[in-house]
Amino acid sequence: MSDLGTMNRRHFISTNATGLSGLALALWVQQQAAQANPKKPDLVQPTFDTVPKTPHRFGQAKAMISLWMQGGPSQVDLFDRKPELERLDGETFPGEVKYDNAAQASSKILASPWKWRRYGEAGMELSELIPHMGSIADDITLIRSMRTGVNNHGQSIRAMNTGTTIAMQPTLGSWFSYGLGSATDSLPSYLALIDPGQLPVEGVANWNNGYLPSVFQGTVMRPTEPRILNLTPPKRLAGKPQQQLLSYLERLNQQHLINKPGERDYQARINMYQLAARMQTSAVEAMDLSQETAETKKHYGMDDPVTKDFGERCLIARRLVERGVRFVQVFTQNQFWDHHGRIRTSLPAACKKVDKPSAALVSDLKRRGLLDETIVHWGGEMGRLPVIQNDTGTKNVGRDHNTKGFSMWIAGGGFKAGHVHGMTDEFSHQAVDQIVNHYDYHHTLMHLFGLDHQRLTFEHNGRSRKLIETDKSRLITELIA
Amino acid sequence: MRLAQRRGRSYNKNTMFPRLPTFLAVTLLAALMASSLNVGIAAPASFTFENDVQPILKAHCFHCHGELVEHQGELDLRLARLILTGGASGPAIVKGQPDQSLLLEYLRDGTMPPADVTHRPTDAEITIIRKWVAGGALTVYEEPESLGDGFYITPAEREFWAFQKIQRPELPQLFGGLPAENGIDHFIGAKLAASELTFSPRAEKTTLLRRATLDLTGLPPTPAALGKFKNSRNPAAYEELVDQLLASVSYGERWGRHWLDAAGYADSEGYTDSDAQRPWAFKYRDYVIASFNKDKPYNQFILEQLAGDELVGKPLENLTPQQQELIVATGFLRNAPDGTGSGAATEEARNAVVSETIKQVTSSLVGLTVGCAQCHNHRYDPISQKDYYRLRAVFEPALNWKAWKTPAHRRVSLYTEADRQRKAEVESQIKEIATQRSKKQEAYIVATFESEIAKLPSEVQAEVRTAHDTAEKERSDAQNKLIKKYPSTVVTAGNLYLFDKKAAADLATFTTKQETLRKAIPLEEYVRCLTEPHQQSPPTTFVFSRGNFSAPLVEVEPRELTVLDPQGTASYVDRIENIPTTGRRYQYAQWLTSAEHPLLARVIVNRIWAHHFGRGIVDTPGDFGALGGRPSHPQLLDWLAAELMQNDWSIKHIHRLIMTSTTYQQSSTRHELGNKIDRQKRMLWSMPVRRLETESIRDTILAISGMLNTQATGAAVPVMADRTGQWIVGKENLNAGRPGPVIDMLGQQYRRSVYIEVRRSRPLAVLEPFDLPTLSPNCNRRASSTVAPQSLQMLNSEFITQQSRHFADRLLRLSDSAEDRIRAAWRLVYSKEITAEQFDEALDFIGTSEKTLTADYQDKGIKDDAQRDALALLCQALISSNQFIYIE
Repeated sequence: MSDLGTMNRRHFISTNATGLSGLALALWVQQQAAQANPKKPDLVQPTFDTVPKTPHRFGQAKAMISLWMQGGPSQVDLFDRKPELERLDGETFPGEVKYDNAAQASSKILASPWKWRRYGEAGMELSELIPHMGSIADDITLIRSMRTGVNNHGQSIRAMNTGTTIAMQPTLGSWFSYGLGSATDSLPSYLALIDPGQLPVEGVANWNNGYLPSVFQGTVMRPTEPRILNLTPPKRLAGKPQQQLLSYLERLNQQHLINKPGERDYQARINMYQLAARMQTSAVEAMDLSQETAETKKHYGMDDPVTKDFGERCLIARRLVERGVRFVQVFTQNQFWDHHGRIRTSLPAACKKVDKPSAALVSDLKRRGLLDETIVHWGGEMGRLPVIQNDTGTKNVGRDHNTKGFSMWIAGGGFKAGHVHGMTDEFSHQAVDQIVNHYDYHHTLMHLFGLDHQRLTFEHNGRSRKLIETDKSRLITELIA
Repeated sequence: MRLAQRRGRSYNKNTMFPRLPTFLAVTLLAALMASSLNVGIAAPASFTFENDVQPILKAHCFHCHGELVEHQGELDLRLARLILTGGASGPAIVKGQPDQSLLLEYLRDGTMPPADVTHRPTDAEITIIRKWVAGGALTVYEEPESLGDGFYITPAEREFWAFQKIQRPELPQLFGGLPAENGIDHFIGAKLAASELTFSPRAEKTTLLRRATLDLTGLPPTPAALGKFKNSRNPAAYEELVDQLLASVSYGERWGRHWLDAAGYADSEGYTDSDAQRPWAFKYRDYVIASFNKDKPYNQFILEQLAGDELVGKPLENLTPQQQELIVATGFLRNAPDGTGSGAATEEARNAVVSETIKQVTSSLVGLTVGCAQCHNHRYDPISQKDYYRLRAVFEPALNWKAWKTPAHRRVSLYTEADRQRKAEVESQIKEIATQRSKKQEAYIVATFESEIAKLPSEVQAEVRTAHDTAEKERSDAQNKLIKKYPSTVVTAGNLYLFDKKAAADLATFTTKQETLRKAIPLEEYVRCLTEPHQQSPPTTFVFSRGNFSAPLVEVEPRELTVLDPQGTASYVDRIENIPTTGRRYQYAQWLTSAEHPLLARVIVNRIWAHHFGRGIVDTPGDFGALGGRPSHPQLLDWLAAELMQNDWSIKHIHRLIMTSTTYQQSSTRHELGNKIDRQKRMLWSMPVRRLETESIRDTILAISGMLNTQATGAAVPVMADRTGQWIVGKENLNAGRPGPVIDMLGQQYRRSVYIEVRRSRPLAVLEPFDLPTLSPNCNRRASSTVAPQSLQMLNSEFITQQSRHFADRLLRLSDSAEDRIRAAWRLVYSKEITAEQFDEALDFIGTSEKTLTADYQDKGIKDDAQRDALALLCQALISSNQFIYIE
């Protein structure tokens, strides 16, 4: 109950939005009574919903926004400066490298062509390509020792977002929705904000619920209006006619369910109609950026065509968690960071699009007092190699995959601020010190959400399934404030 | 027992211990997820290399110690005897002496695998190796003399269930009076009995009617069919119903759609952002639908799709309808995304077409993820990289990336010689008219010029005439000025009509004549197909280093995957009589459809089963490999496959078997015992409830509202953006990039979903929320999700609210009585009679709604008919309800 204060604040916004204060209050009481772990299936008919669940223990984090940089941003050029590479630029790499594309591989070292600067009181050393991230250096934890160790995009994406390399397993957002429910009863607990370009590698599987019930699937928000299709009723049905329709439909479905006990999909679809009805007002309101000041819009880069789209989506992400959404993932487009070639032009362009909005999200959450309980993640499924790929001229060169040592940053929700964690070897090839494997990262996230990684389970085909199924995962206490 | 019979020599008796076939998979899965081996495998008395140790070493060690050209530390771990021999550091193990075995020492202290490897063997796995060494390092089989070039298929892998020849199993005995209609019930019933479960009672007649009709046709039963079936006393009424449904055109439309998923059918090229259209792809879609309706034997169906062009056996012109059908069939091999004609004219894009085609062919036909072996040996299935390229060699003569043709240049015209002659004739007539017209036009221009000159002051007439007669370039400034001064003398073909309306009208008659004539030119139709050059030697296929086409390694010849054809039965000859091409695809198809192939029949019967029960006997219809699911009823799968092959590969025969079984006809009601033992109904103690697929939801609603246009075949109905950016059915009419006036679709917008354009970049808004598949490159299993956007669609979308009104109009036409309308609505939507309670509530709802709408419309200034719209709200509630959206 120690988190009642913050929950109330989120709740206050959603109540205002829906105008359901009396009803919402009753629901609030009922929600508080619900317990964390859904009961074991089959003894009693289980129902799955997104009513808030009390976590296993106190968790500082209440929500998470993951800015998902698909393709593998080059840590060598952005986050992980190595004087040794500068010294040996153009010379032969002395160690062993595992390439994804052996045909274009070379062992010639490529020092970052960009300058570095120290930012903030922390003196965090970052590339000149991401000056806005520099401005939030004192709010983030930079992890320089990430690793998944699986070389392909698909598998590494799955490792980072589902904990395993196997296809179609539940994603992080599904697990958190399952374990914690949603702090809003009028928006989905889990939203995927997709890019106007192509879907990232793995497509719709990126917000898949796997074996968890489908109520925990991510709901897609389209990048342009209408962001959610069919969100408003035709004028002639708006208001009372539709309310009557909904209560009659509910009656039909409940009557039908009585004769078909135990069909979980039926119950889930009944819940979805209720949610859809509430979303009609609350989602419209959540996406209504006209309520934001000109200053805020500018802060997110909405006045610049380069940053407009990503800025809008970051701002919507903030508005969503503010209203109680549990997990939001903002996607870049297909292979946005996969710079196998022409890295000298494509990496600065990629940075330009996301640098300002990403930093704005953190500083905006902070000034609103929401950063303490909202985790912001910035990163992808891999990093890149210190050596050249495609050595066919300065403008053509790129870097191949590196999943053995890469960087990402994380802020808020109980993570340290102004902190650098871990190290790669002198070439930024392999994480060597304070390594954070994907499962360690998940373990730490769960901890901050107050979830016990051993106790949050789901019975599936006779097995008790978990987000982290390896016994090697570790809580990285050094990351926690 | 097979294991024992095939043993090379005699070993310790304990090695005969029969293993669960899932062992390999379980180990791999466990290794993959790095979880411990806590699965329920009976501990054998002693471990053997093949069954216990090899899978562990393959997952963790083979890559460096066996499959690379140079073995790390000169150690090869692929055979027990090689392990005993050891490498640079001496023997890796000592029989019976685990404590003196280097291999175990390294595994224990973490020296191996190297520190940077994430997926490490678990303690349980190391213990297995230890016990194996302690027990004397036993093997089951005689080990081969040599191990070839890096890839070794272990005996355990060869024994994997999916690679065994299909053999018709005996029917298990059924005890306890379980009702068995056919073999299916024996297999299902026997497993139920073993778990203390039994079949559920037969479903109600009306439930069964709806289930069967939606399953086979994707459309609801008509009220007439409902009345007839419900009241029939004919004991064979159900069997007759199944036959009638199988004979209806809509059967092919539904089951053709299923096949199109597996085949990855689309009406656009994808790959690049332009996503160019494929205007002739629809002929393949129609071919598929017709083939299902004809019950074309599945072996023939596959042969045509893989090698139709080779079967034609002659140049592809003046084709008979049968020959046309054969080349249309090869559209199957033209479904992969292809940007080579729409912005990606690169070798990379060409090779992407080849590799995506192979992915689509192998996952759809043989249920293997062969594509993984493009860059390296398959990590989980015994498919080598070389195997992959041998298979590629089958297709490369037709998909030759070095002699590539873009989609526009490779289509085959269906024009015959007669068509061509007719066209030439008509065109010369048109030309003749054009000549006459220009003569006449010239005369009119001259006449007009003369009459205009005559109007000028007489003193300038001569000068103006001279100026006009002078060629434009040679005119002096003075002449140009003069002409400008008297603009009316400038008479051209373009402005003649301003001077002489009659002349213009006369000339227009020529144009009309031309247009009329032009209609007599026979329409030139094309086929999007796969063809191979005739009488040419095939291109050489290489293994590409890590899948990179610019890094060819060694040459390979066509061959089936080694593990599917270890004896090399399907060898390829260079030339086949009457086939002017390489005949490689023909030979591949012949082998696939021979009774020897272990997968083709299993995969298709599994797909049919999955569409009837919601899940396959193998839960992963596109992956029968190590990472795929294991069959819930392996013998049933084989029995069905054998039934298919022994009944002339008739798909409809399989439908009949399934649908007339007790298993299929069960009620879907649950009970506690069943839920406790098998909540997911994998054992089929009760019929699984399935959500309608997205096309069925749309088609069924159109059928109920009375708007469905059942026109079959033909070009795809186009998709366009509406003003909010949603993709809807419609003909694009852009004006400077913005939507212009809406073009009337004349009922085309109400055709079945299978006929609507599948534009990869334009998922139809009405289909998208209910899990419309994305093709990457094909779809082997649809998702069935439950998310809020689906509910929003049912509540607010224009499609649903419009169709609800059409439905209401239909009811209003049907009867003057409110009571009759409600009863009819129930029959149309649920195929059931309404109960008294439901009736009262429905009546009540209409009454309340009408009152609300009347008041509301007045407030909102809406002039619509509140009575009709109240009925429409009832209709909307019914088609939004669970009882409608699910098949029970």
